[in-house]
Amino acid sequence: MITSAAFMAFMLVGVPIGLCLCLAGLVYIAASGNPVLFQSYPLQLFGGVDSYGLIAIPLFILIGEIMNGGGITRRIVDMAMAFVGSLKGGLAYVNILANMFISSILGSATAQVAIMAQIMVPEMEKKGYDKTFAAGLTAYGGMLGPIIPPSVMFVVYSVLAQVSVSDMLIAGIVPGVILTVMFCLVIALMGYIYNYPRADYQTPRQRVMTILRTSPTLLIPIVIVGTILGGLANATESAAVGAVAAALVGKFWTKEFEFSQLPQMMLRSAIYSAIVLFLVAAAAVFSWVLIFGKVPQETAAWIQTAAKDPVSFMLICNVILLVIGTVIDGIPGLIMTVPILLPVATEIYHIDPRQFGVVVVINLVLGLLSPPVGLCFFVAAAVTGAKPGRMFMVTLPFFVISCVLLVLLSLYPSLSLILVK
Amino acid sequence: QAREFRLGLITPNGHSWNKAALKFGDELKAATNGRLTLTVFHSGQLGNETAMMQQLQSGALDMGFIQAAELGSRVPHIAAINAPYIVRSTPAVAKFVRHPAAVKLFEVLPQETGTIGLGWGITGMRAVFSSKDLNSLADIKGMKLRINPTPVYRDFYSSLGAAPTPIPTPQVFDAMANGQVDGLEADLEFSWNQRFDKVSKVILQMNAVFMPMAAVVSGRVWQSLPAADRELITKTIKTTLDAQIDELAGNEPTLIENFKNAPIPIRQVDAKDTEAVIAEFDKIWLPKAPVLAELRKVGATL
Amino acid sequence: MPATRALSLRRTIVRTSSALLAFERLALMGLMYLLTGLILVNVVTRYSHFPIYWIDESAVYCVVWLTFIGASAMTRLRLDFAVTMLTERLSPQHQKVAKVISTGLVVVFGLALIVTCVLWMDPIGLARAGFDGRKLAADTFNFLYTERTQTLNWPTWVLYLTLPIFAVSMTIHGLANLLEDLELVPRTPPRGFQLSELDGVN
Ligand code: NA
Ligand code: NA
Repeated sequence: MITSAAFMAFMLVGVPIGLCLCLAGLVYIAASGNPVLFQSYPLQLFGGVDSYGLIAIPLFILIGEIMNGGGITRRIVDMAMAFVGSLKGGLAYVNILANMFISSILGSATAQVAIMAQIMVPEMEKKGYDKTFAAGLTAYGGMLGPIIPPSVMFVVYSVLAQVSVSDMLIAGIVPGVILTVMFCLVIALMGYIYNYPRADYQTPRQRVMTILRTSPTLLIPIVIVGTILGGLANATESAAVGAVAAALVGKFWTKEFEFSQLPQMMLRSAIYSAIVLFLVAAAAVFSWVLIFGKVPQETAAWIQTAAKDPVSFMLICNVILLVIGTVIDGIPGLIMTVPILLPVATEIYHIDPRQFGVVVVINLVLGLLSPPVGLCFFVAAAVTGAKPGRMFMVTLPFFVISCVLLVLLSLYPSLSLILVK
Repeated sequence: QAREFRLGLITPNGHSWNKAALKFGDELKAATNGRLTLTVFHSGQLGNETAMMQQLQSGALDMGFIQAAELGSRVPHIAAINAPYIVRSTPAVAKFVRHPAAVKLFEVLPQETGTIGLGWGITGMRAVFSSKDLNSLADIKGMKLRINPTPVYRDFYSSLGAAPTPIPTPQVFDAMANGQVDGLEADLEFSWNQRFDKVSKVILQMNAVFMPMAAVVSGRVWQSLPAADRELITKTIKTTLDAQIDELAGNEPTLIENFKNAPIPIRQVDAKDTEAVIAEFDKIWLPKAPVLAELRKVGATL
Repeated sequence: MPATRALSLRRTIVRTSSALLAFERLALMGLMYLLTGLILVNVVTRYSHFPIYWIDESAVYCVVWLTFIGASAMTRLRLDFAVTMLTERLSPQHQKVAKVISTGLVVVFGLALIVTCVLWMDPIGLARAGFDGRKLAADTFNFLYTERTQTLNWPTWVLYLTLPIFAVSMTIHGLANLLEDLELVPRTPPRGFQLSELDGVN
């Protein structure tokens, strides 16, 4: 009790969330009358990140840094333009499709929104789209980042849940594609109602030329998937190989990447990874004290009185997570909820931990797109100058369709597990 | 005086060690009319085995089921129980771990690890699952083999000419499926749960090594317990572990039957191929753990 | 004069923090290069049938060090997820107070972590035992200095050193931030970091 009160107080006064968790852990030990736990405290912090699966995070982030520095993102947008640009609402489709492509290389939503909003929003504005809508749409496109592999959030989840990283990554593919299709359907509908503009006409010859010119970017996902299927590397190691591929494509084909940029890219990747990884360490300490205090057991007992079957449990989780997601961002949210909810899901309702992971991750990602703490909206707003508050309203259909997907994923485990062995 | 114990272990819910832990708690509670109770923390909820050892030493954690690999990496004397070909079948393992010679290994635990060993629990003999054909020990030469990274296993499989490759447990199936490794070694219970037969061409029953677990109590906690409680705990854990050992050994024929029904062959290592391997292994390990000589003698009689 | 002494103490803290940050910057780059290198070497050597046994473990510890060094650096760079829901609604005056409290709590955490590290690593007990890890274990049941890692076979306490280092550097960075928040020293912009506030990591 005093622990959660302390935690809330720390959080509201503006202490970084990782430290809130660490401090709340100390408060718990002090209050528990078991001071011998202080001796184990540093080792629990260490043990939280002493895990092979987490190696993937710095490597995923590094690929993104190199890709962006190499101008590869821009070319992916050109490619999507050649495919769907001439439809009604063409640039809106381009936005979502390019985001889907880029999701297969980038692991994080906010990074993706920051990159894509700079490219897509000015372009869409020029063609007559409302700037707020363009920025909001890009933020939803960025939502695909952590759903389609690779994904930092799925890696963190699989470490918390002790399931195979590859299983978790693969489980995101089908939901990611479904979400892309659903977004396109919404665009078609809205395009019809609001009469969205078309992009510049391209002759078939121009399109073929663009696709040929931009196709080397596909090398990066191909190398990643190829090294895994070919037995050269696992999901983690493939990220390192993918980073090399991105550097080579950037250096020799787009010619925008210089090896002199590499030290800064390494530094940025290290710091952004540390932000995530320290949260994981802090969460380990916090969940260790929670488990010592048997909080998950008590939560389980409480939830059981409300949910009689797996489906109602999943729906309750969706509501809880959406509420949490509105105030807390993705990875911290994951770290605070999974240690408590997952044991209940698997042990009492026999829900597959991978299906549960997909639902939890998408839920928390959706939290990045809802007020008051919608990080993705803030990023999109910061890059483009649009207003975050209105952004939520003009993109409401996308929010609704994402909720529909969550319900489907909660009801049908096979949507998440069909590709998992 | 009422007391609530915490017991930590690394295996997930449903593993035979976890069932034993839960049963131990129930029996303890029944025998004391609820005065002594036990909460089981499974799947490494309190941290990995290294972290659990630290908590056992400081007294934060009362009990643990700790694998011989973890204890053996601290104390070579204990690692001797992981040595190859001390016994050659799971029924023999079941007898061996209850033999006074195996129980006597615990004598070094208080001084070397700050814990008290109360008894062994077991998993079955480990087999090699391979994606290339294997007929004998000699065929292991040159294989990239995923092993449990304990020093004893490493020396054993290296002496067979394999290139031991540590791969984290959750990724073993994938590593095998996509060919990062040519084979893996594991006990049959785990292998059946993971369905390693689906990514292998052949199973070679090595009948060489097994991975037992020690039920340990924190030395600090033990000191604080009245003699009657210590006795009760010792007795209760012994009966639960006895049941675990017998059940696991009893289930092995069913497991082998399961694998025989899988479409891949299951083969045995020829006993006469093993002598040179044993000699080479003992040359490294006898100086580190002289008790190995005695364990071999005992094993040969079972 | 106490006033000048206080001033020079402030300067020492800020300078130490800047020097630490410069060192952390190099260490982070180095660890990231090392990590990428280790993973690539692992892919190549395993493919060519000469897997190196200790690479996985080294890569894991590389990431652990990267985490704590990075966490210390990001404290000074003031990069972290924090909930601003309440504080952003406060008056500028109250915002400053909240800022001082939250930065103060960073220092509190740093100090508390130093205490837990001392309890855990027991440097005094170790000195009393003549820096003999086995004797310390016999005296106090603290076996920290007798353990080794599984595949690298390094003493584990060497790897655990990242925590006391983190605790101390976190405290120093926290103090430097606190001095800035109290407006006792001017803000020092970090050097050599080209960070954009937009690159989140969700
Ligand atoms: Na992605
Ligand atoms: Na939100």
